[in-house]
Amino acid sequence: MITGEQKPFEEIWNMVKDFKKVLVFGCNTCVAICHAGGGKEAEILASLLRMKASEEGIAIEINHNAVERHCEPEFFQPVMEDIRTYDLILSTACGVGVNLLSENIGDIPVFPAINTEFFGAVPRAGEFTELCAGCGNCILHLTGGICPIARCSKSLLNGPCGGTNNGSCEVSPDIKCAWVLIYDRMKKLNKLDLMKEINEAKDWSKAQGPRNFKVKVLEEIKK
Amino acid sequence: MNKAVESTEEAKAPSIEKPHETPEGWEPNILAFACHYCAFAAADLAGVMRLSYSPNVKIIRLPCTGKLDQIYVLRAFEKGIDGVFVAG
Ligand code: SF4
Ligand code: SF4
Repeated sequence: MITGEQKPFEEIWNMVKDFKKVLVFGCNTCVAICHAGGGKEAEILASLLRMKASEEGIAIEINHNAVERHCEPEFFQPVMEDIRTYDLILSTACGVGVNLLSENIGDIPVFPAINTEFFGAVPRAGEFTELCAGCGNCILHLTGGICPIARCSKSLLNGPCGGTNNGSCEVSPDIKCAWVLIYDRMKKLNKLDLMKEINEAKDWSKAQGPRNFKVKVLEEIKK
Repeated sequence: MNKAVESTEEAKAPSIEKPHETPEGWEPNILAFACHYCAFAAADLAGVMRLSYSPNVKIIRLPCTGKLDQIYVLRAFEKGIDGVFVAG
């Protein structure tokens, strides 16, 4: 899922303070799970902004709403007529949602209320961790299912580097060295011989944006 | 402490609201969220014992204080409540 954290309140306030009618628009999927931008967080943010506006003596109408996803138009189309009555949409969706809504809404600005971070796993409720960086050319079959692109601080394809430190990465004792994890995993899988092979340079062109693809079968059906 | 450190610490500290003048005879509006099973029952008992409390305190019964949501507290402040009291 996509993770993100709400921007500092002052930054958000500076974005909205010059508008007259603002909708705090939540997304009830990924960003709701990370307690950053679901309907609940949108409602809380709208309330805080209203109180700030009244404290500053500024008249702004601030409401909230949320839909299940901002990354597929069919979810926000039903409320489009209503959201077009605002002069600013403060979206608490991820950057994908903000981009897509901006493209669809016409001449109304859509601003981000959260900083979108990574797509991550949820090992425990309230904890998020980056395990894959979406490089477009997966090599997990060579690394025991542990991604060195996302989990090694230097994204080394052949590690570990000289800085590996008793299982930790030299960048921080809190980061596990991905290549030690890979080694341990390969040992368990009885595949240590793979560690001796040099992984050749990856085709990074597949990791560069803008990226897009179409499902071929669906394209054929459409024809 | 050297000046540079002091000033960055000052910059980091959240701005503190200036205290407002309290008008003569002003009473704060207090809202209490009380758990049905303990604090609310205690308030009930206080009533039975004919104990009185300030009329500027209003009580809302919750099935459990676990039901309290941030937005209830924020709505209370938005509607002009000065202090929220949670008991459970
Ligand atoms: S190799 Fe690429 S696609 Fe595979 S897990 Fe790592 S970042 Fe993701
Ligand atoms: S110590 Fe390990 S995780 Fe850190 S940069 Fe080196 S190989 Fe990568």
